[in-house]
Amino acid sequence: MKKIIFSVLLASVALFAADAASVYKSGMLLPPKGDVIYDRKCASCHGVDGKQTSFKGSAKGIVYSAIGGWEVSKLNYELLRYKSGRVEKDYSQVNKTGYGAIMKSATYDLSVLELDAVAKYVNGLK
Amino acid sequence: MDNKYINNMLSEMDKDLASKGMSRRDAMKLAGISSASFLMGGTSAQAAEEEIVKTDAKGRILIVGGGLAGMSTARRLTTMLSNPDITVIEPEKLSVSYQPGQTLVAAGIWDIDDIKYNRDDFVPDGVKLIADKVIGFNPQKNNVTTASGQQVEYDYMILATGLHLDFERILGLEAAGRCYSSGDNSKLIEVLGDDICSIYTAEGAERTWEIMQKKIAEAKSGKKLKFLFTHPSTPIKCGGAPKKIMYLANTRLKEAGARDNVEMTFFTNGGAMFGVPEYHDAILGQFEREGFKWKYRHNLIEVQKENKIAVFDSKWQEKGPWDPIMKEYEVIPKHEKVKVPYDFLHISPEVIAPREVRESDIGSPAGWVPVNKETLQHFQYKNVYAIGDVAAVPMGKTGGSIRKQYKVLCDNLIAQMNGKQLSAKYAGYTVCPLITDIGRVMLAEFDWTVKPTPSFPLDPTVERWVWWLMKVYALKPMTMYGMLVTGKA
Repeated sequence: MKKIIFSVLLASVALFAADAASVYKSGMLLPPKGDVIYDRKCASCHGVDGKQTSFKGSAKGIVYSAIGGWEVSKLNYELLRYKSGRVEKDYSQVNKTGYGAIMKSATYDLSVLELDAVAKYVNGLK
Repeated sequence: MDNKYINNMLSEMDKDLASKGMSRRDAMKLAGISSASFLMGGTSAQAAEEEIVKTDAKGRILIVGGGLAGMSTARRLTTMLSNPDITVIEPEKLSVSYQPGQTLVAAGIWDIDDIKYNRDDFVPDGVKLIADKVIGFNPQKNNVTTASGQQVEYDYMILATGLHLDFERILGLEAAGRCYSSGDNSKLIEVLGDDICSIYTAEGAERTWEIMQKKIAEAKSGKKLKFLFTHPSTPIKCGGAPKKIMYLANTRLKEAGARDNVEMTFFTNGGAMFGVPEYHDAILGQFEREGFKWKYRHNLIEVQKENKIAVFDSKWQEKGPWDPIMKEYEVIPKHEKVKVPYDFLHISPEVIAPREVRESDIGSPAGWVPVNKETLQHFQYKNVYAIGDVAAVPMGKTGGSIRKQYKVLCDNLIAQMNGKQLSAKYAGYTVCPLITDIGRVMLAEFDWTVKPTPSFPLDPTVERWVWWLMKVYALKPMTMYGMLVTGKA
């Protein structure tokens, strides 16, 4: 019995540790966590399922893409373009739907590997 | 090692010596003595004085970052404290690798194994290592948080996190991302491709040698090629490295008899070759001698890999209209994009302080840790110090600077622990053994006075083989043994 209690205790310690592990921060060259980043930086606009295309209070009623399930390569390409904030011709900001600045602020400090992890996560939102 | 270069060098050396009536043996002895005294930081008498008296000062010391700066500071502190309580936090296994050797690896003189060193072999006895990464600083409460969620408390903290190489800032290379110089950089190398290289990472140095050999073979077969070398807009590790690799490529091209087929151009964001006028003049002379071209105020901002075109932001100033209030003409800054085709492109990337430092209370908007440049103590948090690449110390991003800084830092920290005034001061010493040829080095030593500060009674603007011997044979043992194992060099 003691053993069982002990192992339960251990398990709860492990759980606690797992909880503490959510101190994960992006842009620090840590092993990437796509799901954590998506929840924090993307889900409020794109929805937990990646299907949301606008939000309340969006003044002009701008509609953006339902990204859930997109190809990883396409997601990676778009994310990188938003992150670097420039297009080839005139070095101006990428701004397809009017949210260029928000996308830049969301992607600015994500590492390339983190973008890839997010892309894979979004691809899995089907 | 490459035998050919040793023979070349020896015959050069003999010529030099014969003119002075000296044998090689005597000369080697002399070189041995001077590099040994270099090891000890002066004369042997000084070395004897350096006996360290241990102190009983107490306190938990936390060192964030276990590269050359962090680990050698840990080592030296263990020799100064009778009861050291030191913790080093470092995630990278190869953190203490010998970065100054990367130029030599890139020119095929050393092998990558010559510069790889394991962190775990250099943890001093009695020092606790945490193989983790700090992601949060809480200097008000004297603790840090690591990626695994662990909180580590301290009484005194030393920041030695180093810096990130910021390749992703270059349009067309966004996918290269940011990285440290050591560790797995396969992604970076994959993105750079077959024509672009950078010696700023260890793996990248190895790759540079592969690409260089291929390009030299092409030039040898009669193809006309363009080699480009860049120097960025931010302070960088070892300001001489962008030129060293150019000089070494030049030497390898000459060896292959292919130099005439290659146009070599150096693009720098700055307006001079070196911050110290004497060295600037010397380098300009070398550039003219070797037939290099150069462009000032050109910063690499884009690479079009498929067309092999590098895009630079070129800046200049023009005289504007008369200003009647200031009674002077206005000066109008101008800039334009300049496209330059390349066959071989060596990039010295811009650098940035790690995000966890930049965005914490301990860093600054510019990133670097604001410390008193002389005492290395944090301006706001008096129990925090910074050393090496991450410290906001001008001209301080070299191993040679660390060699002076870590002694100052240790002395000041111990003084603070004992409740005394901080009296040790760093004067900005930096050294750049500028390799100008295989077998030739100009030992550019200087400090914040922006004057040459030679350690030896020889003209510092002259390229000498004796500095080559020192660079290739003495500096690594001095660093890996002197600083990291004894904490005394």
